[in-house]
Amino acid sequence: MTLTEHPPTRVVSGERKWVGQSIRRLEDPKFLLGKGGYIDDMRVRGMLHAALVRSPHAHARIASIDTTAAKQLPGVFAVVTGADAAELTDPMPDFGPAPDKTTWRCLAVDKVRYVGEGVVAVLAESRYIAEDAADLVEVEYELLEPVVDPEAALRDDAALVHEPLGSNVAYERTFTFGDVERDFADSEVVVKDRLRWHRSGGQPLETVGAIANFDRGTGMLTINTNTLSFTSYLFLLAGTLKVPANKLDVIPHPAGGSFGSKLWAVKVSAIAGMLSKVSGRPVKYLEDRVDNIANCDHHGSDRVYDVELALSREGIMRSMRVRSLDDYGAYIQFGVGHHGNALAQVTGPYRIGSVQYTVTAVMTNKCQQGAYRGFGSEVNNWMLERMVDLAAKELHLDPVEIRRRNFIGKDEFPYYIPTGNVYDSGDYERVLDTALELADLDRWRAEQAKAREEGRYIGIGLVTCAERSVFSATEFWFWFDEPGAPVTSMPESVTLSVDATGGITATLYSCAFWGNSPETMVAQLVAEEFDCEPQDVSVVYAGSRNGLPATGPGGSRTTVMLAGAVEGASGRIKDKALKVAEHLLEAAPDDLEWAGGGVQVKGSPDKRKSLADIAIQTHLFKHSLPEEIESGLEASKVYDHPYTTMPNADRSNLGVFYPFVGHACHIPIIEVDPQTGEVTFLKYIAVHDCGTLVNPRSLAGHITGGTVQGIGTALFEEYVYDEDGNLQTQSYMDYLIPTAMEAPEFVIGHCETPSPWTPHGIKGGGEGGRMMAPAAIAAAIDDALAPLGVRATALPATPARIVEWIESAWAR
Amino acid sequence: MNAVRIATTVNGVRYERDVEARMLLVDFLREELDLVGTHVGCEHGVCGTCTVLMNGESIRSCITFAVQADGQEITTVESLANGDMHPLQEAFWEQQGLQCGYCTPGMLLRAQEILAANPDPTREQVKEEISSNLCRCTGYAFIIDAVLDAAQRMRTIGGEPAPGADQEPATEVPEVPERVPGGEEARA
Amino acid sequence: MKPAPFTYHRATTAKEAVEMLAAAGDEGTVLAGGQSLVPLMNFRVAQPAHLVDINYVDELDYIRLDDGWLAIGARTRQAALERSGDVAKAAPLLSEAIRSVAHPPVRHRGTVVGSVVHADPAAELPACVLALDGELTLEGPNGERRVPAREFFTGPLMTAKQTGELVTEVRVPARNGEGGGHALVEFSRRHADFAVAGAAVSGDAIALFGVADTPVRATDAEARLAGGADPAEIAAAATDGLRPNGDVHGGSAYRRRVARACVERAIRGARNGGGAS
Repeated sequence: MTLTEHPPTRVVSGERKWVGQSIRRLEDPKFLLGKGGYIDDMRVRGMLHAALVRSPHAHARIASIDTTAAKQLPGVFAVVTGADAAELTDPMPDFGPAPDKTTWRCLAVDKVRYVGEGVVAVLAESRYIAEDAADLVEVEYELLEPVVDPEAALRDDAALVHEPLGSNVAYERTFTFGDVERDFADSEVVVKDRLRWHRSGGQPLETVGAIANFDRGTGMLTINTNTLSFTSYLFLLAGTLKVPANKLDVIPHPAGGSFGSKLWAVKVSAIAGMLSKVSGRPVKYLEDRVDNIANCDHHGSDRVYDVELALSREGIMRSMRVRSLDDYGAYIQFGVGHHGNALAQVTGPYRIGSVQYTVTAVMTNKCQQGAYRGFGSEVNNWMLERMVDLAAKELHLDPVEIRRRNFIGKDEFPYYIPTGNVYDSGDYERVLDTALELADLDRWRAEQAKAREEGRYIGIGLVTCAERSVFSATEFWFWFDEPGAPVTSMPESVTLSVDATGGITATLYSCAFWGNSPETMVAQLVAEEFDCEPQDVSVVYAGSRNGLPATGPGGSRTTVMLAGAVEGASGRIKDKALKVAEHLLEAAPDDLEWAGGGVQVKGSPDKRKSLADIAIQTHLFKHSLPEEIESGLEASKVYDHPYTTMPNADRSNLGVFYPFVGHACHIPIIEVDPQTGEVTFLKYIAVHDCGTLVNPRSLAGHITGGTVQGIGTALFEEYVYDEDGNLQTQSYMDYLIPTAMEAPEFVIGHCETPSPWTPHGIKGGGEGGRMMAPAAIAAAIDDALAPLGVRATALPATPARIVEWIESAWAR
Repeated sequence: MNAVRIATTVNGVRYERDVEARMLLVDFLREELDLVGTHVGCEHGVCGTCTVLMNGESIRSCITFAVQADGQEITTVESLANGDMHPLQEAFWEQQGLQCGYCTPGMLLRAQEILAANPDPTREQVKEEISSNLCRCTGYAFIIDAVLDAAQRMRTIGGEPAPGADQEPATEVPEVPERVPGGEEARA
Repeated sequence: MKPAPFTYHRATTAKEAVEMLAAAGDEGTVLAGGQSLVPLMNFRVAQPAHLVDINYVDELDYIRLDDGWLAIGARTRQAALERSGDVAKAAPLLSEAIRSVAHPPVRHRGTVVGSVVHADPAAELPACVLALDGELTLEGPNGERRVPAREFFTGPLMTAKQTGELVTEVRVPARNGEGGGHALVEFSRRHADFAVAGAAVSGDAIALFGVADTPVRATDAEARLAGGADPAEIAAAATDGLRPNGDVHGGSAYRRRVARACVERAIRGARNGGGAS
């Protein structure tokens, strides 16, 4: 089978023993005991510590750097400037549109481009001393005009973030999918709005860290770190560090949260690696909290939308025109991949027939964007649902009714949306009906009416959103007609080995653990295959050397991809086990079946060999086996992305690149205080359909956790840069993460519409509630303040912003 | 270096050390005593990841100097299990009250403190008490479930079972609905 | 984010602390709870060369009723205030307010005096002490003096305390059930955060926080409160003239609006028997 056709359709069996059970997680005991093995828990003999001097300015030329005093401080081993670093390292790996023109290095060289950018790295006996020395470094800056507002950055007279680029536009293109002109012409109603989504970010409680150890004897650079993704691309990091690709070994540690921000977060490894090479000592560089807020390379989307949605008078959506100006900050490492995430589900769960999409990526003096849970598709969900609600209001349609009229029907799958991507399966009505049933809206509407009489404002929001999963490699390059590297690999791998006692070990090859549950998923999947207990499966992580290709978490891909890899590896083991059993049981292949964790003669359960029986034979008794059977019982599967197709030449069809698409309906119930603009939650109903669930409670945790992050995005969190580019939110006193008191009480529902194309019908769901919550909360705010005529068109909807909206609605 | 000799008891073990005056308690625990269960989060006293108990009361070890532990008793997450897991740890495990595990040691100690003061809290009370500690993964729902579960386990250990007051139920995670076997074969 | 080096001095009596502070001159800072100071030190925004630790000065750990005053020593933890029945009777506004001060783990270490001396314009305790017409007792090389709250707060994080002085005590007039209703109402972005703005009402006193460089008494509005005016009118009088600083949590006009809502709600709360929200 080539990967240009959809995978074979599977029949999803209803009979499962382990998949679908909310077992306790295999990961947990070590974390509960305080033995998590996070990167900072590791210590290497002779290890030194790094700290950075960060730029206090948004945009400035580095006139001079005096490191004399810093170098003389006792306990300091090295002080490395950006100019030094530019000799020791090559530029950072960069998947952006023009890396030679927007060159990104691990430390700034002749100018600084954002507050927090690293300028000098100090290496010392302790982090305390490294920071003392950092304070002694004297940097002279010549201030340049900061480029802060994304629209101002477009002006001809704007200062340039990167002079070689010639402008601040890193990428701009309009894509037309379907006959947009005709569809607009045929529509009786067009609603239009301008929407603003400000940047926030993952902000995990654990920062990014690496311990690099360059062995001058062997030339091997070993890096232990809490970020290991895209292992096939590590040769690029090796290139940056000027070591041969086969002399770089990256070893993963569990990450204390990521939410995207540890996806390929290689600058920390680059700095640690560089310092280790310079000093010949192991070096730990662990971001401190300010590093992680200001210099993480993983800020979230920062978009201005101008959108038009065209509909019939009956509210049937026909087409949309989207112009998205995205403020990428000072570098653009992933290009506009975030918009690929948007285009994967740009039309949401609706039958919109055509889309025009213009993306303008503008550079400014801010930290660059990276990945944040949703990776740009959650922003699209918010934008689209805002427009659907605007249309509903315009047409005097109930928000539920307009959605029903436009849903892709459950018999229409697989459904190809205008961009070319496919939605594998879905039953949106069922999810909506389940949510409505759980929400008891009649009761809340009655409460809302009563509250209004008392001058209080209760609101009910309702959104229905797509939740794509498992990205392909093409979304990195289909932006260009002649891409430099039209890559097509994005695999995940698992090795299963069976020891002489029949015990199974599963080896994973990326930093698979971020707080998701890869060990539990794999254990349940392996247990399903081999009829063993999940807790008896040993799950380990391998480093990149000798490692199989692996992508790691992102785009909700881990469970599906691990499932494919486990299935593949299990199949190979079972094939070999069957051959051994044929021999041991003296039976023909057709007479044997796999059952109860072993092989038996069909119809004669007493004639069987357990996996342990078979395994010990393979390990110890070669001469008892046929010649062609090798010793050992181990198999690997490199599971490539199961459904990727190429974009067409003019990019009017991007192909399939995110085929497993789930769905969710969120209904938050809130109260808004019109005096202060405060939003409090009365209830939060969330129903998700991510296909077959491996561990329902684990997925529910991503619903609650993702939703609370979505609440953060919707109401509390923003990286605020003032007009001079000063980052005003450099601590957790100003960057506000929701506490338990800001989290709602949840009512959770699951639906399962299996994927026809994945093992067990699993789809990804890890991005969870954050995909929907911002859209849902905006809808709830509108509903609460409907008597005042407020519409939430920006996010976060902070109390001050809400009051502003109330005041301007009064003024009208 | 401005070294100060301190004597402190951590998890019941007495230590004497010379420490730099500015050494933070969290670093003392992690680096000097190799007790890596206490984690560094924000380093400015907001997130609670570094929570330990001093003389039985929760404090933030990232904004406490090691010298302030002189003569005091410190308790860290490592004190909870003694061969077997503490009922709190069992409860968090059962309820999936953790995902990445990074906030968990601080949460466990706060939970221990909360339940010591109030063995039968309501859901609302637990929610308010744990709001001192940030979690970025769970959205808190299952942490609250875990604390209430632990409360029940701890009320029934060491003597008569003591039923709790009427409480709101734990976060309901519905049963996986009945699958339609072979339901998707229609699609080719 | 590790603090810069400093020389550590441990006092066991108030007199010792004062001597240590005198020796340190401009470079000396008191370490009490550290809940405000140490974060600033971790950011290296504060880099005191000398830290005088008063956590071992047992004689400053007290809550006393003394000659019509409720006196709280400099080592007294906020949590102790929270638990104290004497405070609940003698200064119920403080008992209410303390529950809005950060979170329990912070209150286990943070001191009452420390919060007042830190003088964050958005903090509750300085505003309460101001509302209650409290006094600060300072000990220095030239002996002891008292400064009324009205003169104590001079700017953001700035007070009338001189170099070398130690604030040993804060005291407020003790009530015996008289003095009218009280309430503290604040609005913060999240539970337990610093207030965007807030109001403390006790009897006819109204103190605002988060609205200026220091906590302020709304003296014009207080006259109306004493005269039994409508809460909305009093709130307008209390806040119309304010020009709060803006920050990421809200601009000037927004803060004023929030302050006004807090004053109105606090007055209503006080009239209905006291409380905090």
